[in-house]
Order: sequence, then structure tokens, then C-alpha cells
Amino acid sequence: MGALAIKNVTKRFGDTHILKGIDIHVDSGEFLILVGPSGCGKSTLMNIIAGLESPTSGEVHIADRVVNDVAPKDRDIAMVFQSYALYPTMNVRQNIAFGLETRGVPKREQEEIIARVAKMLQMDHLLDRKPGQLSGGQRQRVAMGRALARNPKLFLFDEPLSNLDAKLRVEMRTEIKQLHHRLKTTIVYVTHDQIEAMTLGDKIAVMKDGIIQQFGSPQQIYDAPANLFVAGFIGSPSMNFIPAHLASEGGAIGVSLQSGEAACFVPLPDSQRFARYVGKRVIVGIRPEQWDVANDGGGLDCKVDLTEPTGPDTIVFTQINGIEVQARLHPRDARAPGSVLHLRPDMGKVVLFDTETEIRIG
Amino acid sequence: MSKPWRGVLYAVLLIAAVYYLLPLYVMLSTSLKTMDEIRGGNLLSLPGAISFDAWRKAWGTACTGIECSGLSGYFWNSVRMVIPAVLISTALGALNGYVLSKWRFRGSELAFAMLLFGLYIPFQVLLLPMAQTLGWFGLARSMAGLVFVHVVCGIAGTTLFFRNFYVGIPDELIKAARLDGAGFWRIFLRIVLPMSLPILMVTLIWQFTQIWNDFLFGLVFSSGESQPITVGLNNLANTSTSVKEYNVNMAAALIAALPTIAVYVLAGKYFVRGLAAGAVKG
Repeated sequence: MGALAIKNVTKRFGDTHILKGIDIHVDSGEFLILVGPSGCGKSTLMNIIAGLESPTSGEVHIADRVVNDVAPKDRDIAMVFQSYALYPTMNVRQNIAFGLETRGVPKREQEEIIARVAKMLQMDHLLDRKPGQLSGGQRQRVAMGRALARNPKLFLFDEPLSNLDAKLRVEMRTEIKQLHHRLKTTIVYVTHDQIEAMTLGDKIAVMKDGIIQQFGSPQQIYDAPANLFVAGFIGSPSMNFIPAHLASEGGAIGVSLQSGEAACFVPLPDSQRFARYVGKRVIVGIRPEQWDVANDGGGLDCKVDLTEPTGPDTIVFTQINGIEVQARLHPRDARAPGSVLHLRPDMGKVVLFDTETEIRIG
Repeated sequence: MSKPWRGVLYAVLLIAAVYYLLPLYVMLSTSLKTMDEIRGGNLLSLPGAISFDAWRKAWGTACTGIECSGLSGYFWNSVRMVIPAVLISTALGALNGYVLSKWRFRGSELAFAMLLFGLYIPFQVLLLPMAQTLGWFGLARSMAGLVFVHVVCGIAGTTLFFRNFYVGIPDELIKAARLDGAGFWRIFLRIVLPMSLPILMVTLIWQFTQIWNDFLFGLVFSSGESQPITVGLNNLANTSTSVKEYNVNMAAALIAALPTIAVYVLAGKYFVRGLAAGAVKG
């Protein structure tokens, strides 16, 4: 059953097109991430799903019902905001009860719900405090509790972790994921953080300029990005984009890479799909972890410019085809700046992009 | 800051304080003296024997024109005028501010700009058209008419106060309340208004002072039964008898000023806090 379907939704303010035809389908129980840089329209889309703004055209379906003309409160949704949006003059208990009260839930039932939510989020001891007396993480928890109390069909999270410090963000991220496993309620989650997107989502919609650039599972998006933007946006450190000529050598199609004096020709597997690009310039996308240190030759001698040890890995910086390239290597394989490393890309995972359209080839 | 400079600073502050308090002192001491003592003594001397006769006369028996029943009637007139006028203008200002900041509509900025324009119109300009309007409404020379004038003239200021305060309240709070199922009024009464205490106090004090101290509208738009205390004080001071009773005049002026002084003393701390509230986001 479809929990949420967005059909050709557009949004325009005067001459500014915020959303240019959005199509999304989410099944019941799925965790959907809307991710993109600021100004890409993801928050507007969220507001349209919530009913806080109306689309210029298109339809929004929640639980197989068109909700374009349904008020936010009747859409059976709950939302967690970036600023938490707790009512400052009410204590935690009243904050949670407010929505139940407006819905006419009987007093006794309200208390049961508050007790259940407080237990689930371990915040019994906070119930009588005002939001001003809570830490950032506690406020976040209360905001989630308020949403949980509604027991909605659909949860909306609008950058809920952006105001937390790094450590707490990781903790709350895990907690949200556990919560989702337990409740199995459909979640739509807006973020600009690609790590949150990768770690939380069942499906990710990468947005830019009011258009969904790619919609798929995290792994699909990571392994086969639809275009240069998605490839660069997802993954950290970012994918290396190396300009190169696609050439045919001895029956194999491949690219030539050059670093300093050294040069090599790297054939692509299953290369007939690139045939029509032979002789043209392309962009070769290689993720930092898709480099190996080749001790048996068959790679490229690269001079190490800089290293950044992160603990489990060391990021090595070098120059290939005039571009700075990062390779994520095992610390054992890394070399000090100034020395030479023999690097070989994992061509099975490499992706190519058209220089003009920036769309993935093949 | 070095020690001598601190001394200079305190001296300047002290002089300023004395300068501003001196008239109040003269009023108070004169009001407690007898006429004999005033004629014989010096302006700044303390009263020899404290006498409340002047206060009693100013309140109950002093002549304001041909009537000789003191300021008491005028005082209660002012109370009856100021309470509804302050409450209504503040309530409308809060509501306007709420709409203009949180429920914007096409043209709401223009509406706000036009309201602000009201702040810059000298009230004298309003006298004739307002008199005409009151006549049409059948409110001429009535207490209700005076309240109406004060409400209309106060809305620009109260709206500005509340609108600027509410702009600082995050929109997400309103969105959250809408998702919680609350509508326009419920959000206003349960969420927004309870957050408004600082600006509410500022507006109440401001409006109280403005309306209580108003002389122009009171003089023009009221008569006889409904005249406020500022008009009464003017009449009392201008009624010529054989001798000018300075002690009675001073006592009358103090009676007219007491409510505003009381409001500042009781609620002054909210005033400062409220004015600062907009500056630092809570």
C-alpha cells in the first residue's frame, strides 16, 4: 500500500519556480530521505506534504487519499521541526498534551499516552520542566515525543538534528533509526547532511533546483549516481572527477591517466556501452576508496602531496590529469608526502559522465 | 574606569537626578503647606507643620469653574475612560500584530505601513474629522466617544509594539500548533499570548500614560459629566478667585499625576525588560 505519493507537484512564487514537477512514491513503513543543498526546495516539498503550503499544481496522496484540500491537522501526520518548536510557556507534559487536547482526546487517555511516550523516549523525569530548562538533546527528544503521541500514519522530520552537536547528532540518528524499526511508521526526513541520508534512508530523493536528481536506495545512489551533482553530493570525502579522453587501444576501450611523468591506459570492463564516446572527453568518477595500491605494476606512479590520517584510513592527496585526487587507503599502504605510490583504480566501480550534460554514461 | 572619572560620573548623575526631582519636591512640599507659610516662606523650605487641607480641598471642594466639588468627579471619569481604552487598544494591537506577523496575507505589509502612518499624524489634524465621525456615530461628547478616539489613535502604536515582538517568535511554532490541530484563535490565546507578557506590560504602561495624560481629546471631545482629570486640573488652576491657592493647585496636580507614577513604580521593571526583550532573541 502506498503511504505517500507525490504526483507531478509544482510550486511557484510569482516567477520563481521552487518545485518543478516532483514525483515520489513511498510504500508503507519506508524511510524516505529528501536531501539536497539549501534552496533546493526540499523544505517547501515537506511543507506541501504537511499541508502548511499548497502546491501550485499536482497531487499529494497520503494513505491512498488525495489530501490537497485536507487541513494539516486532518492529514494524520506529525512533524518534528529543526528548531523543535516546543511551546515555551508550557512544560513538557503540556507540550505533548496540547495536540491531544485540541483533538478532544479524553483526559485519562491523554495521561496514558504521555506515560507511554515518556517511557519510550526515557524522559519521565523531564515531564514537569519547561523547554527553557532542557538541553538541546532533551528538547529534540521532547519534540519527537510530541510527534509520537499522535500515533500518525506519517512522520515528517525537518532537519531534526541540525541544531545538535556532532556527538549527540550521531546518537540521536541511531535512536531515530531504532524508533523506526520499532514503530514501522512511514517517515519522510529532510536533511542536507548526506551521511544522515545514507545511514537512515530506505529511499533517498536527491534534490537540486526544485528537481529530483535521483530517487533510489542509498546503495543505488552511491554506486550509480545519475549525474555529476548526485555523485559529488553523496559520499565523503567527495568522489574524484578526473577529466580524461576515452580512447580505444588494442580492442579495449579505456581512459588514459597521467600523473607527473607517469602515464597509463586503464581499460574499462564491459566497455562496449561506451563505444559512442570513443575519442571524446569524459569525466571519470572514482570514489576515494576505489583506489588500490598495486605492488605488481599495472597502475600509475603518483607523487603524494599530502596525507590526512583519520585513524582507520589515511586520505592521500595526489594529482592526476591536472586535478587533485583523494585516495582512501589503509594506513599500512599510505606513504609520506613526497614519496611515490603506485595507485590503481578499481575500474569495475568507476563511473563515467558526459562532459556537456553531466549525466552518467552507460 | 578610573576612580576620579567614576566620581565625576556619579556627580553628574546626582545632579541630573536632583534637577528632575526638584519640581516634584516643590510640588509635594508646597501642597503640604498652609497659604500663610507659602506667602512667608521660601519655595524650597520644608513645610513647618504638615497639613493635608490642600489635598482635601483639591479632591473635594475646590472650584473648577462654577462647580465647587474638587477633582474627585474628574478623577473617576478618567478611570472610567482609561481602563476600557487601554484594554481595547492593547487587545486590538496584539491581534493586529499577530495577524501582521504570523498570518500574512496579500497586502498585509501595505496594511502595516498604513497603520504606521498613523503614528506620524499630529492629533490636532484629527480633531475636525473625528468630531464629525463621532457625530455620525452619535457618540459626540460622551464617555464612549472619548474611549473610541483613544482606541483609534492608540492602535497604530500598540500594533507596532506587538508586531515587532511577534516577528521574533519562530514561524515553526505556529506550524507546529497548526499540525497539532489548533486554529487561529487557539494558537493566539494558548501559545502566542502567554509568550507576550513583556510586550504586554510595555503596551499597557505606554497606553495608560498616553491616555491618562491626554488633554487635547479630553478638552475637545468631552463635556460636563465626562471630562477627564487633565481638563479638571486645567479648570481648577484657571478658576480665578481672590487668591491663587498654590497649595491646592499643587495637590491637584499631584492627584492627577499619581496613577501614572504608581503604574511606573509597580510595573517599571517589566517596562525595561519588555523594551529589551525584542533586542535579544529568547
